[in-house]
Amino acid sequence: MTVPAPLNIDQVYHRCPPDKLDFETTETLEDLELPCGQERVLRALEFGASMQAKGFNLFVLGPSGAGKHELVERFLGKHAGEKEVPPDWCHVYNFKNADRPKALRFPAGQGRDFRKDMNDFTDELRTAIPATFESEEYQSRIQELQEEMAKRQHQGLFDIQEEANRNNIAMITTPAGFTFAPMRDGEVIDPEEYKKFSDEEKQLVESKVEELQKKLQQTIQQIPRLRKEVRERVHALNEEMVQITLGGPMGELREKWSHLPEVVAHLDAVREDVVEHAEAFQDGESGPPAGLLVRYKVNLLVDNAETKGAPVIYEDLPNHQHLTGQIEHRARQGTLYTDFTLIKGGAMHRASGGYLILDARRILTQPMAWESLKRILFSGEIRIESLERLYGLVSTTSLQPEPIPVSVKVVILGDRMLYYLLSHYDPDFLDLFKVEADFEDDLERDDGCYALYARMIASMARALKTRPLTRDGVARLIEHASRLASDQRKLTAHDRVLRDLLSEADHWAGQGGVELITDDHIQQAIDEREYRASRVRERSMEQITRGIVKIATSGEEVGQVNGLSVLRLGASMFGQPTRITATARPGKGQVVDIEREAKLGGPIHSKAVMILSRFLASRYAGEGELSLSASLAFEQSYGGVEGDSASVAETCVLLSAIAGVPLKQTFAVTGSMNQHGEVQAVGGVNEKIEGFFNVCRDSGGLGSQGVLLPESNVEHLMLRKEVRDAMGEGSFTIYPISDINEAIELLTGMEAGIADENGDYPEGSFNRKVQDRLTAFAEVGKKRDEDKDNGNGEGGKNDED
Amino acid sequence: MTKTDQPDPVPVESGSGRVLVLLDGSRLSLAALEAAADIAALRGHEILGVFVEEVNLLRSSGFDFAREIGASSGASRPLDSAMLEMRMRALAEQARRSLQRAVASRGLRQALKLCRGSVVQEVLSLVGPEDLVVMGRAGWSAAPGSRLGSSARGLIRQAPGDVLLWAELQHRPGYGVVVLLNDDQGANHRALAVGIEQARRRRQPLTVLVRSQGEGGQEVVRAIEEQLRARGAGARVKLIPRASAAEVARMLRREGPAELVVSRQCSVFDEQGADQLLVDLNLPVTVTP
Repeated sequence: MTVPAPLNIDQVYHRCPPDKLDFETTETLEDLELPCGQERVLRALEFGASMQAKGFNLFVLGPSGAGKHELVERFLGKHAGEKEVPPDWCHVYNFKNADRPKALRFPAGQGRDFRKDMNDFTDELRTAIPATFESEEYQSRIQELQEEMAKRQHQGLFDIQEEANRNNIAMITTPAGFTFAPMRDGEVIDPEEYKKFSDEEKQLVESKVEELQKKLQQTIQQIPRLRKEVRERVHALNEEMVQITLGGPMGELREKWSHLPEVVAHLDAVREDVVEHAEAFQDGESGPPAGLLVRYKVNLLVDNAETKGAPVIYEDLPNHQHLTGQIEHRARQGTLYTDFTLIKGGAMHRASGGYLILDARRILTQPMAWESLKRILFSGEIRIESLERLYGLVSTTSLQPEPIPVSVKVVILGDRMLYYLLSHYDPDFLDLFKVEADFEDDLERDDGCYALYARMIASMARALKTRPLTRDGVARLIEHASRLASDQRKLTAHDRVLRDLLSEADHWAGQGGVELITDDHIQQAIDEREYRASRVRERSMEQITRGIVKIATSGEEVGQVNGLSVLRLGASMFGQPTRITATARPGKGQVVDIEREAKLGGPIHSKAVMILSRFLASRYAGEGELSLSASLAFEQSYGGVEGDSASVAETCVLLSAIAGVPLKQTFAVTGSMNQHGEVQAVGGVNEKIEGFFNVCRDSGGLGSQGVLLPESNVEHLMLRKEVRDAMGEGSFTIYPISDINEAIELLTGMEAGIADENGDYPEGSFNRKVQDRLTAFAEVGKKRDEDKDNGNGEGGKNDED
Repeated sequence: MTKTDQPDPVPVESGSGRVLVLLDGSRLSLAALEAAADIAALRGHEILGVFVEEVNLLRSSGFDFAREIGASSGASRPLDSAMLEMRMRALAEQARRSLQRAVASRGLRQALKLCRGSVVQEVLSLVGPEDLVVMGRAGWSAAPGSRLGSSARGLIRQAPGDVLLWAELQHRPGYGVVVLLNDDQGANHRALAVGIEQARRRRQPLTVLVRSQGEGGQEVVRAIEEQLRARGAGARVKLIPRASAAEVARMLRREGPAELVVSRQCSVFDEQGADQLLVDLNLPVTVTP
């Protein structure tokens, strides 16, 4: 087998071809309205926004910072502009059932007019009705009425008194009422004298007195009825006066709003109510009670007077109250009070007829908000209920406003995990959010993409109000976008990172006092970011250079190799080498993964070790028994190991331990391996290579060091300039490997050897050495087993020691 | 048949200037007592309470068939003289206590005169031209409808001095004192004097309304203004047409006074329904001779 050729610098970095960028600065580039490479999302949005059927709400899924919000808002804004403006909604007092305020619908912009009309009307009531009551006409009519009634009232008593006087009987007032007694010449007859009257006379007097008493009783008992009649007639008069006063303004309003029958019905109810409460308006000084006038007000819940097209609402705090609206209370003398004017609309009200954008994580963390949203979407109407009531915490009476029908397209933005969790755990979710708009993380980097990507950067720069970029600046940014995508054939679609980088580069350009952002500023921004995040990396590097963490970058060692690992801390990640060691002795076909035994290894790592153990058995033991007790460890690793990217390194170090052949410490190895010894791609190759490069550079200097990486990872390489320069000078080499044998040959300098038809490897090859050593182990094992069977085994000296 | 409460510290002296207040134990008479005490304190006059046991009432309770019909309920119940006597005594006692209470804080001289007979006759026998009679507009019978009692009606027409008819407090008390005069009456100065005094007592403005017919109005106004100046008082003097009693009542209502002073000679008194005018206004009215 021949050793693969090392990679040249063009293979480890995909340059942006300058001829693809046909401009001097981004200033000359047109804005890109919709992002490139997001066709799937755009098609989903297009479909979801125009689809009328129920349940076709959208869930836009993608990583945070991908620019979902901006894209969706921009897209919907454009889409909504062509749609018609939805109606206004008002709550008004319900005169039949005060606890259930009515909802009135108005063509867009007319709600405001109606509110003004009713305010004017109320102001008019405040002055016009008291004026009516103070008018001469009313005063004389009420006077006449009262005089007439008083006359009727007194007339009864007066008539009885007259009748009594005619019959010579006096009607005398007592402290508590009236009494009758016979009189003569205006004076009551002395009772003694009366006794002298004849029986006939007495009978005459007494029967008359009795008759008068009865009449008086009847008259007095009629007084309450008379008073009631007065009240009724005064009320009727008041009503009549108010009716006349209201006639003009109310007629105008009815005429103006005649196109809306429900509004006319409300106006009629208002008129009836004013008439019914006519007396309350009588007091010209303090005016009618505020509680009465407030009933004629209009609570404009949804005002679309200035809305262009359909509304696109983003609710940044999507809690239950903000979504469905709420009924507020006012504290008045220690009690809480509410009425229909304190009903406040929510985001659903405002977005009705248009689009509501919500953040999935936020709505899910607000109590009951998700349930309320689903309830509204299912029922198609908004019912305002307080959270306390939903939880059953309060049972005081409150308002129950008439539900308002709603037709809203909800667009939820969230990361993919939330989408999949909701699909799995919420049975309603897929009924309500049928349109999935999945953001691409990366874009294809092909010849056609450069112009579009450059325009996207230009739009971004304009949106961020940064300086324009030069062609080199754009090229550098495109190259960095590939690095961020960890792929020579991709560009990152991660909006936030690019924006931040652009803003930072603009800052550095500003510091440098230039008007254009060049590649140097982009590079400076990249370096500064890296530097800011480098504290942990540098501490880690320092430990290696000071020899506290042992990493060899020169010489050869048996059973020791440099593996490569990646650490992710916040938004940054970096690679660093790890020493992997192995031991081997005769045993029962076991490879002990010390990481797993110590519960520091993850399941994928364990799987990789098992694969390598089976690879050993099948390759070297053939049909015989594999007699091996080997161990593998990541030295000075205390935080756990996961992943299979060290399996090539582990195989090499184990084989070195078995064969007793030293491995070159100038190399670091990464790559996973299958049971046939084929090398497979891994992640984080750029960071791993750069991590080892840094260690080599800082501890003893570069010379012949290098990295072995899977051949299939070559197209993921976007290495930084320093590494490329070292490669150009030949002081750092990168070998792409596709088979374990290639790794062996590079690390040992020996031929690996291919097995013949009997499974034997050529003499002098590395694999032969391994095979021989394993055969020797097998013999040792066999002998031990025989000794054990003969009963003279050396107890305690076995594999399990 | 008169009986003086013993001992009587105040000798009855006609023309010495006293305030006579009629007490019958009704709510309105107690309110009148307070007003009388105020006026007496202001004038430095003594106050004489008068409690008259109406002889007609006492007699009417002596009949076997006598029954009392409740003024509010219309319920009928027997009326017997023993019980009535007892009630009258209790009322007289109450009147005495009220009088004592009313003068105690004002440091006035007081006396209570208990009489038996007809109210009007008894009062006329006690009162002189310089005395002021203060009484409730109506007595016990005010309950079924506020009207002018027979005693009040008799006294405002016959009393030699001024008569103040007290009315129940209104919901919205008025402001100012109005003197209602005729342009052709001779006794204007007396009504005006009382008006000035009442306005001072209340510390409220005075308005003089002169019912005028024909040309003479302005002259009378000038005369009145002269009188006012002479007494060092200021007032608004206004001419009003001679309209019906009801019309005058409406005008007065518009003025919204707290008190009215009117001369008995004012022609409005000659009209039918003058009583009604006073009833309708429902405010304290002083009638001057």
